[in-house]
Amino acid sequence: MGLGDRQVALAQFLAEASDAEQVEIARIALLPGGAIQENWGIDANFEGGRLAGQQRLVLRTDALTGVPSSLGRLEEFAVLRAAFSAGVTVPQPLFACDDAAVVGKPFLVMRRVAGSAAGRPITLDPSLEAVRSALAERLGRELARLQTIRPPRADLAFLSPYDGPAGQIAEFRAYLDRHPNPRPVLEWALRWVETHRPDPLPPVLCHRDFRTGNYLLDGIKLSAILDWEFAGWGDPDEDIGWFCCKGWRFGRLDREAGGIADRRHFYRGYEAASGRQLDPERVKFWEVYANIRWAVIAMQQSDRYLIGGARSLSTAITGRRATECELELLMLLDPDGAAKQAAYA
Amino acid sequence: MAPRSKPLMRDLPTTLDLLTLARELLRDELAPLLPPERQRDAHLIATAMAIAAREATAGEGWQREIEEALSDFYAEAGKGRLARFAADLRNGAFETSPSRAAAARAILWRLTIEKLREGNPQFLAANGLSDAGRQGQ
Repeated sequence: MGLGDRQVALAQFLAEASDAEQVEIARIALLPGGAIQENWGIDANFEGGRLAGQQRLVLRTDALTGVPSSLGRLEEFAVLRAAFSAGVTVPQPLFACDDAAVVGKPFLVMRRVAGSAAGRPITLDPSLEAVRSALAERLGRELARLQTIRPPRADLAFLSPYDGPAGQIAEFRAYLDRHPNPRPVLEWALRWVETHRPDPLPPVLCHRDFRTGNYLLDGIKLSAILDWEFAGWGDPDEDIGWFCCKGWRFGRLDREAGGIADRRHFYRGYEAASGRQLDPERVKFWEVYANIRWAVIAMQQSDRYLIGGARSLSTAITGRRATECELELLMLLDPDGAAKQAAYA
Repeated sequence: MAPRSKPLMRDLPTTLDLLTLARELLRDELAPLLPPERQRDAHLIATAMAIAAREATAGEGWQREIEEALSDFYAEAGKGRLARFAADLRNGAFETSPSRAAAARAILWRLTIEKLREGNPQFLAANGLSDAGRQGQ
């Protein structure tokens, strides 16, 4: 069932939530992307109330099958609100609802922001060549701004306390124990992560999917950072490692900051705004961790077909990408072996 | 691509030839007719067909070779060595022996490269490893 069948209940909810006399929904359509969440574009007219006039909104709700560790929509709404208040460039969060009578499942509503998040145009479009370095620097500043959100926070009390990566390492191993095929490269890399944990830093709010493909560009301008469903307390370098992870470079493996620029531009923006100098060894740790995590997520995507029965080629085939992460893990952790392999090539 | 052997009884063209022709039809003639929002689906179908074709071509050869390498590594024959190998790596079993650790890493490289050769050879090439692991073959 699509949201089109729930328009009356949804219009009534929007009216009540915004103190409008009436809301008329002119158009509602599923937006592209969003393997784990559904995003619906809504064009609506609000008669009176706080949003009086024509509004372009996004309703975000769960897809049929989610992946473990993603926040619920009400929790994501609270995170989005905290990020918005901290000055991070995000769509303005408006309402959240967990009443199944409205659209059948919990959802949040935010303003619809213009722009495209598609990764390859961002990394490959020649018209963006002149602005990519500045974009990387801007994203570094955005990340530093996000990290001004620190525990304890009453509004984010649902987020689990952060006590270093040991818990996540145990979770990755538990996942691998349940998986039918042994993954020796991931086991080898997990052992490295386990034995090379850096000294802890005070935890901050991590986006945990801060990467090219999850921010909107409106022309050459950053218009929003999206997809906050994995956010949580974590290490300040976790999002740095994730952003630079090879899996998110969209055809420009040479541009180590999200396929858009050299790392130094991204680092410069982050360091200037945060006042903290990045330690390459720490970042390397979190980049190794990022590749393990991405490999596990890719495998979990395939599980949605293998276990969940989701008839989606897109999710079923994503599991194959885990091996790309394993190659990168070998390249990061065995540079001599990489040189030997390249010499044969 | 490996030479295509003539099937004993099945009709020609071979499965692999049919897959290749179907993929070319999809990619070159059908995909351009699709609306932009379905182009990615066409690309995914073509990718899945390409993986199937490469796996059909490669057969089980490299998997058997890695099984043999693991049998040599553990100095005992038999199947199921990959799970033991993974468990040993989890526990750091080879870390006190540089030669064992190097031999283990060589198996990891071989396994990963062979999987990518079937799953995503473009990614291997983009990392400068398109012919890696073919030494001595």
